[in-house]
Amino acid sequence: NLMGARLAGSHGDTQEPKTNPLVSISDEPETLYKRLSILVKGHDKAVLDSYEYFAVLAAKELGISVEKVDKPPKTIERFTLLKSVHIYKKHRVQYEMRTHYLCLELKYLTGSTAAVYLEYVQRNLPEGVAMEVKKTKIEKIPEHIQKPVWDTLPQVEETEVKS
Amino acid sequence: VSPGGCVPALSPRCPPAPGAVPPCPPDPAVSPLSPQTRAARVRGGKGDKLVTYEQAHPPHHIGHRKGWLSLHTGNLCGEAGAAQRALEDAFLRRFLHGTFPGLLADEVVLKRRGNLLVICALLGRALPPAKLYFLLGYAETLLGHFYKCPVRLELQTVPGRVPYKCL
Repeated sequence: NLMGARLAGSHGDTQEPKTNPLVSISDEPETLYKRLSILVKGHDKAVLDSYEYFAVLAAKELGISVEKVDKPPKTIERFTLLKSVHIYKKHRVQYEMRTHYLCLELKYLTGSTAAVYLEYVQRNLPEGVAMEVKKTKIEKIPEHIQKPVWDTLPQVEETEVKS
Repeated sequence: VSPGGCVPALSPRCPPAPGAVPPCPPDPAVSPLSPQTRAARVRGGKGDKLVTYEQAHPPHHIGHRKGWLSLHTGNLCGEAGAAQRALEDAFLRRFLHGTFPGLLADEVVLKRRGNLLVICALLGRALPPAKLYFLLGYAETLLGHFYKCPVRLELQTVPGRVPYKCL
C-alpha cells in the first residue's frame, strides 16, 4: 500500500534547496590546459596495462578527450657485481631493473576538471607505480605585446649618423 | 653436469645426409648458469623438503613466474629512496618474524601507497584470535610510531603451509 508510505528523504517545498558542501562555485576565471601529459612508470607491465584501461575509462566517463596513449620502450638498468665476498674476480653476478612506461595525453581541459581527474587517478595509483604530470597551460597574450611595437611608436625622423 | 648438453659435432665440409636426424637442441633443464649458484634458491635434496611456490622458484623467475615481495617506487628509473626502502623492508621482516614466532606461513608482502605502508602476512592457526588481534594492534602502533607513517597490517590465517614441490 503506497498511499501511506513516506519516503525518507522527501520534504515539502518549504525547505531551501540543498547545496552540496563539496561543490564550490567561484567567480575566478578557469585556468585552461591545452595538454595534460601523464607519464606512468612501473616494474610490472601487467599492472601498467590494467592501469591504462582504468585511466582511459575514467577519462571517458568524465568526458575528457584522450589524445593518444603511448607506450615508450622500457629502460633496463644493469650492473655487474662480484659474486664472492673475497677474491674470485672471474665470477660475477648480474642484476637488472626494468622500468616500463605508459604515457597518457589528454587535451583541452579546464583547471577544475584536471584537478578532479588527477586526484581520482592518483588516489588509485597502484603500489610500486610512479607518476609524472606535465601540464601545458593556455594564457591570454599579455597586454603589452598584443600589438606589434612598430605600430605604436611615433614616427622618428631619420638622421644621418656620422661615424 | 656439463652446461649446454651434448651436441654431436658435424664437420663443416660434409653437409648432413638427407635422412639424418638433426642434432638435438641443448637440454633445457640444464641452465647456462654456473651449477654452483646458491642465491635465493633451495637446492635439490632427497625429496623430503617441502617448499612453497615462493621458495621453489629461483630469482630469475621474478617478473615471469613470481611476483615481487616488496612494492615501492624506489627502484624505478629516476626515483630516489631505494636504499631507505630496502633497510625498512629488512627491519620489517625481522620484526614480523619475531612478533609472530613460528606463525608466518610464507614471506610477508610489503606495499607502499604514498605514505601508507600495508603489510600483508599469512599466518598459521596456532594462536587464538584474541592474541592475534593484540599482536596486530601492537605491531601497527609500534611501527607507526617508529616510522612516523600510517601502518596497516592485513593478516590472513591458513591451516598450514601449502607445499608446491618436494625437493
